Amino acid sequence: MFAYILRRLLMLIPVLFGISVFIFLIMKMIPGDVVSTILGTEATDEARSQLEKQFGLNLPIYQQYLQWMGGVLTGDFGVSLRTGKPILGDIISRFGLTLELTLLSAFISWIIAIPLGIVAALKRNTSTDFGVRIISLLGVSVPNFALATLLLLVLSLAFSYYPPAGYVSLFEEPMKNLQMMVLPAFVLGTAMAGAVMRMTRSSILEVLRQDFIRTIRAKGASERIVIFNHALKNAMIPILTIIGMQIGTLLGGTVIIEQIFSLPGLGQMVLTAINQRDYPVVQGAVLFIATVFVLINLFVDVLYSYLDPRITYK
Amino acid sequence: MKKNWMALLMGIVMATLLLSACSNEGSSNEADADGGSGEAATEQVLKIGNDQEPAGLDPHKVPAHSSIRIYEKIYDSLLTFDEDMKVQPELAEKWEQPDETTYVFTLREGVKFHNGREMTAEDVKYSFERIMDEETASIAKSYFDKVESIEVVSPTEIKFTLSEPYAPFLSYVASTNAAIVAKEVVEENGDLNQAAVGTGPFKLDEWLPDNHVKLSKNEDYYKDGQPKLDGITYLTMKDESARLAAIRTGEVHVTTLSSQSIPLAEKSDGVEIKSYQSTEYSYVGFNVNKEPFNDVKVRQAISLAVDRKEVADVVWKGDAVLSGPIPESMGQWAIDVSQEELYQQNIEKAKELLAEAGYEDGFETVISTASTYTDMVDTAQLLQQQLEAIGIKAEIKQLEWGQYIDTWTNGDHDMLVGRNSSGSDPDRSIGFFFSTDGSANVWGFSDEKIDQLAEEGRTTIDPEKRVEIYNEAQKRVIEQTPNLFLVSPEKFFIVRDSVDNYSPTANEPENFNDVVIME
Repeated sequence: MFAYILRRLLMLIPVLFGISVFIFLIMKMIPGDVVSTILGTEATDEARSQLEKQFGLNLPIYQQYLQWMGGVLTGDFGVSLRTGKPILGDIISRFGLTLELTLLSAFISWIIAIPLGIVAALKRNTSTDFGVRIISLLGVSVPNFALATLLLLVLSLAFSYYPPAGYVSLFEEPMKNLQMMVLPAFVLGTAMAGAVMRMTRSSILEVLRQDFIRTIRAKGASERIVIFNHALKNAMIPILTIIGMQIGTLLGGTVIIEQIFSLPGLGQMVLTAINQRDYPVVQGAVLFIATVFVLINLFVDVLYSYLDPRITYK
Repeated sequence: MKKNWMALLMGIVMATLLLSACSNEGSSNEADADGGSGEAATEQVLKIGNDQEPAGLDPHKVPAHSSIRIYEKIYDSLLTFDEDMKVQPELAEKWEQPDETTYVFTLREGVKFHNGREMTAEDVKYSFERIMDEETASIAKSYFDKVESIEVVSPTEIKFTLSEPYAPFLSYVASTNAAIVAKEVVEENGDLNQAAVGTGPFKLDEWLPDNHVKLSKNEDYYKDGQPKLDGITYLTMKDESARLAAIRTGEVHVTTLSSQSIPLAEKSDGVEIKSYQSTEYSYVGFNVNKEPFNDVKVRQAISLAVDRKEVADVVWKGDAVLSGPIPESMGQWAIDVSQEELYQQNIEKAKELLAEAGYEDGFETVISTASTYTDMVDTAQLLQQQLEAIGIKAEIKQLEWGQYIDTWTNGDHDMLVGRNSSGSDPDRSIGFFFSTDGSANVWGFSDEKIDQLAEEGRTTIDPEKRVEIYNEAQKRVIEQTPNLFLVSPEKFFIVRDSVDNYSPTANEPENFNDVVIME
């Protein structure tokens, strides 16, 4: 097991190297550069070349890469070209927000999806099942930006409510922070819930048909024990896969919701940086997100073998 | 009916809250309790919904509007502008011009930086030297190319010597980008993005990127009794529907919206729309190095084919006025363009001119514009329709902002729809944009007469003569049409009723020094 984990961790190196080259080149290839977005229509040739020199953009491209990579390897992600702030610290503090948002959304999606999914599976082809399936289809198909805008609109018009603006972290003012987070987490959570619900339903149905369930029922176990102690645990594997992937996607993909609710998360950071062509910020943040994504997948893989001892890694 | 009950309930709750708040503070404030309106609120922090994240806070370096609106509250310059765009004293109490190339400024005494140190002529010298230093890469460097030396005469007197007469000098000194900064702060921090110490009405408290910038009152501000607010918080809300919801519920006091959303905001209770005539104008740039736009007749034909009134009505819902190279809000400098021949739509004449240029059947072309700004895209689409009347078939190319700036810089376009700010001195509108070596002349345009007038405008100190020179220059630019000048829009702020004493103007759209927040 440990050998497996170690091997997977070692595989991170070529993956991250590939990503770093790729993102570096992409950022150089998109039209428009940081200097012209800073200076805009006020650009004089003199100011341009001076800024290029300051940012090291006058160097050959491979030297720029080596300089950046050299820094990254020693833990120095550089400073933002726009705000002058060290990048790594910023990434970590913003990751805190995005992680909180992701976990809250995941939590909301579980408490909606798993019970409903079980109910739908047990009452297959009844009106309850249809009701649940329609809800889950809605969850999957309503785009979250539409739901977010609709929520803001309805709440502001009908209840004159707007979540408190001006971000504070969970550790500073937990209540205010949660008030800010609950709406975006709800929007993301319902979208996740749809997929999880469908997966729970079909996966439970499948497990219920298996032999060992019949055996357990035959020895007289109550239906509750059958479902919660045996069926659910076995049904969790595909559900976990989907949750793991969703969490990974959310960590880099909450950007639209962050923007609508003005939350300074990791997604916003990357988006602002792309628009401003703040190269080192984009590069650093993408590397960070990629690392986290790979680690989450690894974690989910390890969980499999805990849930189903038949799965082992060598 | 239900609503009334709610209002009553809310009223009772508010009154109770107020009463309890007042009883804590002692009896002197008791009058507040029975008011409900007409009394200043306890929390005097103005919240502004900012549609863009500030791109840095260094006043010498960052030209973005989202940044200027914040750092102009933190820093002061030696001079400022009045509503007529004439320079007025600010940190300099007065100034003299002993000869055409020398300016002596007398500084206001007892002005303190936010760190408590008194501002002196040494700081002024340092600030201008920082701007003029190549290493700084300041956007204001070219404003002061003619400055030969800066000499501190006494702690409150400073002398600028120019290499030749340069009329725009005082307007540039009044620019927000010529802010006076404290030397020790720059030296300690390397730049002014994280630390901001000026002499302005507000101090920088905190900047949390992508979320908010907090400013607090400068208790030692040199204007007595100002600012009245305890602070301003700029909340970054890039999403339009979020800004709309936030202004409706009162979560922010002031914000901006696109002209499409303004009618929605107008309908809500407690919201006012305030407008002012901006110093911006929309335009179409021609690539005059490229056929067919190298022919002045083609450019004039397009000018005649365009209905500017329709641009104002459709794109700006009627809230825009005709504009030449210098918009109306520039006061004394602007000419009345409504009578200009090229501003009267005349399809027949336009076709004749096109035929004379050899394009009787029109031609195909591309109009580039920035997708970021709906008004630019709308303008491009309207022009596309209008130009069809004279046989010009235009395709619209929408560019992302960074790409747009690149296209603009490289002259990589046929026609380009944009919006310019005319700044504060007419030299910008004529010399900077249209003289042969003007920094922002990206059109490849060159006209001897305009070069000559731009030069005269720069070196003539007498204001009346300058006005004449720029009148002539504007007419010449319109006649040559290197750009097609369209309209100058009004700008809008959506403001809660509770914000008292706020009236935006072109010279100071966001002056909150007298603002008080009412209950």
